[in-house]
Amino acid sequence: MRAQTALSKDSRKTERFAPFALLTAGFGLLVSAVPMLAHHSFAAEYDSKKPVKITGTVSKVEWMNPHARFYVDVKDADGKVTNWNFELGAIPVLLKQGWTKNSLHAGDTVTVQGSMAKDGSSTANATSVVLPDGRRVFGGSSQPGAPGGAAADQ
Amino acid sequence: MRKHLALSAGTAAVALFVSLALTPSPARSQDPLNPSFSAAQAKGKAGGKGALPPGPPGPTPRLPDGKPDLTGIWNGQRTVSQDGPYLQPWAQKLLEQRAVSNYADDFEARCLPGGPPRAAPYHTSLVSTPKLVLMLFEGNTHMFRQFFVDGTNHPKDLKPSWYGDSRAHWDGDTLVVDTIGFNDKSWIDMPGHPHTSQMHLTERFSRPNLGTLNIDITIDDPGAYTKPWIQKRSTTLETNMEMTEYVCNENNQDPVHLDGAHK
Repeated sequence: MRAQTALSKDSRKTERFAPFALLTAGFGLLVSAVPMLAHHSFAAEYDSKKPVKITGTVSKVEWMNPHARFYVDVKDADGKVTNWNFELGAIPVLLKQGWTKNSLHAGDTVTVQGSMAKDGSSTANATSVVLPDGRRVFGGSSQPGAPGGAAADQ
Repeated sequence: MRKHLALSAGTAAVALFVSLALTPSPARSQDPLNPSFSAAQAKGKAGGKGALPPGPPGPTPRLPDGKPDLTGIWNGQRTVSQDGPYLQPWAQKLLEQRAVSNYADDFEARCLPGGPPRAAPYHTSLVSTPKLVLMLFEGNTHMFRQFFVDGTNHPKDLKPSWYGDSRAHWDGDTLVVDTIGFNDKSWIDMPGHPHTSQMHLTERFSRPNLGTLNIDITIDDPGAYTKPWIQKRSTTLETNMEMTEYVCNENNQDPVHLDGAHK
């Protein structure tokens, strides 16, 4: 278990997840057809210029609205454990993408990419998650331009 | 009919799956970690006008009285064209302030209503009967609107409310919904166009075929705009999902993290 907080776009060049990508075509399909928007402005809470990438152990999953959330314990080099709070999309959005209540469980090891909260807390908006079975799925993020996220504001 | 819809939706899904799975490499370069996400889709979503999922083919369904039956679960709306807005100076200033603050004071973020005419990004269900059309919102506050099509007029001395009072009539195959009695709290849309309690909303609902719903909205608010302005919206019929439960206050952790809350 390790943590990696990426503050530059360099990390996006990493092809670590490439073997899983093709397995997620089905999720990509469903995502493509979903108009999305959070019930709050993304920019009011998160900073897209502060990306985060973390691998850790899920400690809790909240399958609730207005956003599903999951919490990830991450241990740093000194052994200190930080519990990260990741926001996913709303349940209707996630269901359309293929998520179910059983997609994540406490104890799962996941790798999450997203954007950090502007207030400096260990809170982030998840743009993608590598599930324990290797599938890399979108998080229903409201981040403008995020794959499988953002969008129709009327 | 229901079986037919399911088959049509399934066929479309399979076709889309195949097309996306075979997305050529130039499109992949838009997002190297997600090869199934095409450049066109990325562009559309980023712009807030991404393509709607296609609606099923078929003729306009009709009620026993011959009027179009608007019943169905509809996807999030898209604005396809707009004339306006013609903002008064104070409204322009407020709109700009909302943008600068990243829309942190949005009522929706506190699980309060968003409109109308603001449309939730989730499903909206319409239930048509000859004398009453109901609009049910899946997201945010699970609210409803009632369009009375029974020849009655707006009650006098309406108390200002989030959704106002709606009376409707048919103009040919178009349901014309007239709404007044608003408070001044909600936003007209996500960008934060304001309105006052003088807002008079006219929405024209039409269903040109089974899978399409068009809504032409005229916003007449002499308290905030110099003249009426129009948004033309469209959406498509959802064929793969039922409405889901959405209890906004069950786990709304966002307000304490929004701009201003932590400064």
